[in-house]
Amino acid sequence: MEERVKELIRQKKRMMTISLGIVFMFYFILPLSLIYFPDVMNRTSVIDGLTWAWLYSFLQIPMTWIVGWIYHNRAKRFDQQIEEINQGE
Amino acid sequence: MNLTYFLFFICIIVCTLIITYWAAKRSNTTNRFYIASGSLTGFQNGLAIAGDFISAASFLGIVGMIAISGYDGFLYSIGFLVSYLVVLFLVAEPVHRLGRYSLGDVICSRFPSNKMRLLMAVGAFMISILYMIPQLVASGFLLRLLLDIDYSISVLVIGGLMTIYVVFGGMVATSWVQIVKTVVLMSGTFLLALIVFSNVDWNLPYLIERVKAGTPLGENFFIPGHLFENPLEFLSLQLALVLGTAGLPHILIRLFTVRNTMEVRRSLMSSTWIIGVFYIMTLVLGFGTVALLGYSGLIGDDPTGNLAAPLLAKAVGGDFLLAFVSAIAFTTIVAVVAGLVISATTAFSYDIFHHILKKGQSTEMEQLRAARWTAVGIGIISTLFALRLETINVTFLVSMTFVVAASSNFPVLVLTIYWKRFTHVGAVTGMVSGMAASILLVLLGPHVMNPADGWIVKEAVISLYNPGIIAIPIGFLGAYLGTIFSSKYMQSEQAYKRFFIQSQTGIKARGDNR
Repeated sequence: MEERVKELIRQKKRMMTISLGIVFMFYFILPLSLIYFPDVMNRTSVIDGLTWAWLYSFLQIPMTWIVGWIYHNRAKRFDQQIEEINQGE
Repeated sequence: MNLTYFLFFICIIVCTLIITYWAAKRSNTTNRFYIASGSLTGFQNGLAIAGDFISAASFLGIVGMIAISGYDGFLYSIGFLVSYLVVLFLVAEPVHRLGRYSLGDVICSRFPSNKMRLLMAVGAFMISILYMIPQLVASGFLLRLLLDIDYSISVLVIGGLMTIYVVFGGMVATSWVQIVKTVVLMSGTFLLALIVFSNVDWNLPYLIERVKAGTPLGENFFIPGHLFENPLEFLSLQLALVLGTAGLPHILIRLFTVRNTMEVRRSLMSSTWIIGVFYIMTLVLGFGTVALLGYSGLIGDDPTGNLAAPLLAKAVGGDFLLAFVSAIAFTTIVAVVAGLVISATTAFSYDIFHHILKKGQSTEMEQLRAARWTAVGIGIISTLFALRLETINVTFLVSMTFVVAASSNFPVLVLTIYWKRFTHVGAVTGMVSGMAASILLVLLGPHVMNPADGWIVKEAVISLYNPGIIAIPIGFLGAYLGTIFSSKYMQSEQAYKRFFIQSQTGIKARGDNR
């Protein structure tokens, strides 16, 4: 039992580390790009009338929702698996 | 004060007092008083977290900042929002599984000692009080500006209300006041945003044109760089914002008010939705203010721009809408300060009184009595402070709270949960160094030391307004150094494994009845 629990925890930890890494990267690219590449960020983006700076900062909002939702679903499965192991014991 | 204002305020006060009366009948055990028996659903708690988090500084401050500085004002919002992912991924579930009522519980489930608990309680107490005082001071000014009520009366009313909610209704009343606040705030902001759009014939490009015409920045309004000239300052602020929430005790104790980790995640998911939508609406309000009032119309009454939302309401909806928005601002303040009172109360009455002074032996009745008296004490002390601090600028305390939380509570929580080698000594040194560094850096910074209008009329030693980028690494470094110099106190592999499995799954090892 303990081995399976540990394996599941390892998987969840990996998932958490990767998601957190992606979030930090996605988030800190915003201030860093504004500091280092202001010209690029002030050019019009793929959407007419919207610069990259605005588009990228808007994208942080759906990013938060989507990444959170993915994590929530994975964690739900994890909780169920743990529950099964716990009950089966 | 005219009748419309009066009716709105009476309505809010009466509604929240009814909630408190209803909650008072249900707050007869410590479990109910501190965590509402974990009875909230994820969505309700999400609303309450949003209500706890969105302070008057967010509602009024950010709208004003966007109206004055354009793009840069919006960046604050983004940092606040993304910080919830840090809470969700790193600390939310373990905190719920390891703690009962306070953050002290969480750390002491690995390093059980009175010293550790005392330190966590002092940290939580300090953060909550430091955050509460500027909110109370701001509320005094706000009500004076909006309603022409005397500063001290405003502070006394808000201080009194927050104390009543917590003393009688505990966490149940606090939660429901916060839920009501979120609903009122969201619907009011939504309404105002719709009115702004209707004023520009639902034409976004036209709104943008009018914004450009209204602001002295012109085209540049939409270009970054008006608020943060120093790149290091900017990065430092973003760092403190994104990590700070995961160390704020008044937000983290809300995670105890639901029954399982599934609901914990639901709470955080719902709050990110609410907060995300809210910040998009503040953007519309910020734009609307510049477009419809113009820059001079905004800063005429108050150069900080904090009155942007109320002035906008008055311009588009007359006195009635202004009264409504003022009522929203009032609800916003009382909900946030009530959350802070209960957080400080828990730290004192549960951690210090029950666990340390009474060695965990006090009865339910004694604990409840202690909690209620603590809440009274905290209410009185912070109101008195707020009354005394009328003439002093205390807004820096808000940013200091985030820095203190990010550099003391956050490193200690994360390392306690995830670092196998972490020791008791490391936790103490981490907490102390993070807290000391952040307070010292703020005191040496331009908020306090300023040749123009500082408390100390001198050039600042540290040029950063937000010293997070220095203080947060010091917190982690303190924890690391404390740990490696005390490696003989390291926990056995077995003990850590038991703790870690419990923090990640909730499964307790046999014979482990902590």
